[in-house]
Order: sequence, then structure tokens, then C-alpha cells
Amino acid sequence: MKHQSQNNKPVMLFGRQGRAWTFFAGIATVLAMLSTSGFASTVSAPTPGFLNPNQAVPAPSVQVAVPKGQDGCLLCHKYPGLGRYDKDARNRIVKRVFYVNEDTHNASYHGRFNCSDCHEGVDKIPHTDAKKVDCGKTCHLNEPSSGKKFSHKAIVDDLEKSAHGAKGAGAENQSDLPACRDCHTNKPYLLNLQQQMKSKASMQICHQCHEDKAWITRFLSHIDYRLSSRRPSSEVVRLCSKCHANPSMMARHKLDVVVGFQDTYHGKAILYGDEEVANCLNCHAPYALGFSPHKITAHKMKESPVNADNKRETCAQAGCHASATNEFATGSKAHASQLKAVLETKGGNAGTDAVLEDEAFQTMVLHWINLFYQILIAGVVLGLGGHRLLDLYATYRDSKKGGH
Amino acid sequence: MGGHGNNERAFVRLTKSERIQHVILFVSTGLLILTGFMLMGEVWAIKLFGSAGKSIFYWRGIIHRVAAVAVTAVCFYHLYYVLFKTDGKSWIRAMLPRLKDGVDAYQNVMYMLGKRDERPKMDRFTYLEKLEYFSVYFGMFIVISTGTMMWTQSYWPKFYLDVADALHLGEATLAALAIIVGHIFTVHYNPHVYPMNKAFIDGNISETMMKEEHSLWYERIIAEEASKSANTAHATEGGHSNA
Repeated sequence: MKHQSQNNKPVMLFGRQGRAWTFFAGIATVLAMLSTSGFASTVSAPTPGFLNPNQAVPAPSVQVAVPKGQDGCLLCHKYPGLGRYDKDARNRIVKRVFYVNEDTHNASYHGRFNCSDCHEGVDKIPHTDAKKVDCGKTCHLNEPSSGKKFSHKAIVDDLEKSAHGAKGAGAENQSDLPACRDCHTNKPYLLNLQQQMKSKASMQICHQCHEDKAWITRFLSHIDYRLSSRRPSSEVVRLCSKCHANPSMMARHKLDVVVGFQDTYHGKAILYGDEEVANCLNCHAPYALGFSPHKITAHKMKESPVNADNKRETCAQAGCHASATNEFATGSKAHASQLKAVLETKGGNAGTDAVLEDEAFQTMVLHWINLFYQILIAGVVLGLGGHRLLDLYATYRDSKKGGH
Repeated sequence: MGGHGNNERAFVRLTKSERIQHVILFVSTGLLILTGFMLMGEVWAIKLFGSAGKSIFYWRGIIHRVAAVAVTAVCFYHLYYVLFKTDGKSWIRAMLPRLKDGVDAYQNVMYMLGKRDERPKMDRFTYLEKLEYFSVYFGMFIVISTGTMMWTQSYWPKFYLDVADALHLGEATLAALAIIVGHIFTVHYNPHVYPMNKAFIDGNISETMMKEEHSLWYERIIAEEASKSANTAHATEGGHSNA
């Protein structure tokens, strides 16, 4: 929103030239929307629904048709203040931002799509008829290599069958399962992609034939992102930890809580910013070995890269522990888990009892080593320190007597 | 106490070889403790390095390994030194624990508590020095063997590596604290020697210190010199120059 004057044309408030009408239309629409949710009439009192998550939104009394097309949505959604506080499934208060920056959207991977291509059924205000975005739907866009309509459905299907999907996971507590957006946190909409670009020179080359700068940015970053910069390891760890380090959620699914990764060499190296060592995905879904994060399966499954039979190959992948032996790869876990929780929740399972006994023994040995050193250290420090203090006292006493 | 006269006679406490061994030992041990405990840092502390963290982590690993090689080399050299070199053999002979060390410890504690009138007369190495010296053997055995295991990690079962890791960390913590409490305090903050015992630089110990802390050794050296000079007195007039 710049106040600017160009080419001697009249000063335009809010937005691009020739679109000043959208501002007034926007104001009108917002007022219309607010009045239907009871905001305008009760400004001084706590307003139900709006900014007040404790009260339910009353059913709207007036339906207003939504203007069609991209610009129609931006009538309202271009205002940065658009948003409200809401409650999520676990009754926690969350802030929901409905603001869309047009430039950022145009530069993003989905910049060629209209809002309604993904956000289906948004015909009323307020949008009580909006359907959840389905990333697996078929787009109005042709996939350039095959000419067919493009879709993320293949990936959505993979996810469904994986340990994170409705078919691959247990039937209970399916609301915990991650959706696309839990991992794909829509960074592209927030980052300045120009900044991410590896080479400004390649942009210039594209520009010789292709005109649309936003399109070039999109196209180049689409390829650039896949060739080089994925998420930094620390972000991968944080993302996986959101669920896998959450004790109550892991207990609901009878899974180990990942507690020890941060203490491993891999974990510390990642904290320092080393991108060469393994993060979660390098072992649980190594791209180099043909796995994908969308196909992660439980370690008991034969096809899992962390299955006992496949672990050696996973450790020995290019750039890692090339000379890894079976003993190195299969022994105990690469990161500590809450063994007690495992024993309690899986206790009856005959197939894993031997493994658990092994783990219990190993945990005990490590515990005894730590205890031995704790006692030794306490003894040595107190003994030597005590001796030293006693010596100082004796020296002081002697000097008082007149020394020797 | 404190400053002794400049003209005072000095005795050899550490030979040149022993001083060089000691310098290599404490420089590399210091680096090993520093770079090793950098792996134990809390998240917020590691985050302080910011964008420099990546190269700091890289150099941390390099320095830890170089210092490890240096300290291993000096340990093996020291074994050769005490087994085959003349100075080394006299060193290890004086260092071997004896029954008297136990008696010394008991009597010294009794003196410090005020229940004896005099400190026990101690030889070239006191019971505390012997304890420290052989602790280094024990500690080095642990950290060098477990460190080698972790350096060749691909060839070991993961559980052995976990054990090695636990021992390495435990021993390193013990060593670091023992050095601070047992050694640094004795050779730096002891009122006898503050700000430091310069023996590790020039290798000398003053006559006063000899009488105070190693009177048995002092008396023996003087006695040996007396008998020697008695034997040679007829031939040549003159002195005992020891420094």
C-alpha cells in the first residue's frame, strides 16, 4: 500500500493505479460481512465469534454473494488485519490470519491458480460453505511432460498408505495424523523467493525469451528448490519433534517418544548448523536410496530403511558411514527413547520381547557406568577438595603461630 | 613463604624432556576438554555461535582429533621414557607406591587436623603426586581406548559404542574436575607457590621448597653429596653445582 504518484496521473490511495474503487468496494464488503456476524452493532460489548473464541459464531442472517475470480477474494483478503482468534480441535486458542499478499502469492508455486481452484465452495459470506482444501484434487493445469491434468494425488495416495496416513496407521486417534500442511508449512508464501534464488544471472537468461518475471521466478525456484536447498536439518528435526517428542500423542499411538536425538552426535552437529550429518529424514526416508518422506513406514515393515535388515545399507549410504558393519547398524537405537514407556505399552508383544530385554540390559549397563563415574567423581572432588581446604587451614594455623 | 631469595640453591625437579612432555600433555588435554565438552553444550549455548557454528563445529572435530593424536603419542613416549631412559627409570622408581605413602597420608592428615606436631617427611613424590600420576595412567587408558573405538565406529556394534561413549564422557569429566581441584589448586593456588609453581617452566625447585615438601629427598641428596665430596675431597677442592 504505497502513496505514490507516477506519470502525472492522480495520486492513488491503496493499491495499484486504476483500482481505487476496490478499496471502497472492499470497505463495503467488510462492513457487510461484519454486520452479518453481529460485529458492527455491538462494538463495545464482547463480540461473539469475532476476536472472542469463547463464544460461538451465530448463524448468519444475511447471505451475500461472493464476487467471482481472484480479485473478488482480494477485495477483502488483501487487508492485513483480516483474521480472528479461533479454537483448534484440542481447544487451544489459535490465531487465524486470512490476509493474502497478492505479490507473494503470485511469486509462489501456486501463483498461477485462482483462489477458487483450491478453495472450493466459497460462495457465501461468511464462508460457512467452504470445503477443506484437497491437495489431491486434479488441477486445471497440464503437467508439461505428459500433457495430462496435473495432480498431487499420487503423493497423497502414498501418504495414505504410509505410517502417517489413514490406511497405514492404526484406526485409533486418526485426528492426530498429519495433513499435507502440517509439514509443508507454506513457507513459499512467506519467503521472498527472489532472495532464495541461487543465481541472478540465470534469471537474466530466462528473461531474454520469457516476459513474465513472476513466472520466471516461480519456474526457476521450482527447479532450484529441488536441486539444492531443502529445509535445513534443524527445521526437519523441529517439524518431526512437533509430534514425535509429544509424550501424550505418542502414548495415544503406542509409539516411543523420541527424547534422545538432541543428545546424539548427529543432534549436536545439527544444532551447530552442520548440514552433512543425518537428520530424521536421512535415515527414515533417504531420498538417495529411493525412499520418500511420503512413504515412511514403521520400522517393523520390511521396506522401511530402518528395518533391521536394511539398516546397514541406510548407514552406509553415500557420504555417511561407508564402511558400516551389520553390528554397527543393527545394535541398539540411534537415538534414545523412553524405554520405560515402551515396556509398559508393548509389554505383551512376544515378537519384540527379546529386543526389549536386550534394550533393558543395555540401558542398565549404561546406567551402571554413569553411576560408577558419578560416585567416583563425587569422591575424588570431595576428597581432593577437602584435603586442599584442610591444608589451607593448617597453613593458616601455622602462620598464626608464627610460621616455621 | 612466597618469594625465595634469588641466590638460593636450586635442585632439578623436572628434566627438559619431562617439561616438554608436560607441555604437550596439558596443552592437548586442555584442547580436548574444551572441544569435547562443546558436544555437551545446551541448546541455547550452542545457538550463541549463530551462523559461525558450522565452521566452529568443523574445527572442533579437527582439533579434538589432532590433540588426541598428540596426547596418545606423548603417553606412549612416556612409557618408553620410564622403561628405557636413565632419567625415566629413576622417575618411575621414585614414583612407585610404597607402604610409606599410606603412613604419610595418615600422618599428614593428622598434622593438618592438629593432632601431630610435624608433617611427615616426604620423598621425591608425595602420596598426592603419586595418586595424580597413576590416575593419569588409568584415565588415559580409558579415554584413548574408547576414543579409538569411536574414531573407528563403523567396525563396532552400536552398544559397544554407547558404552565407549559413556566411559569417555565419565572419564573426561572426572579428569577435568580432578585437574582443577587436585592439580591446578596445588601448583597455582597453593600459598607456598602462588601465582604458580615455576618448576614446569624452568624445571627447578628451590631449597626452601625442598625442605618444606620433600625433606626426605632433600636430606638424601645432601647426604649423597657429602659422601661424594668426602671421597673426592682429596683430589679436588670445590663445589657441588647442581643447577
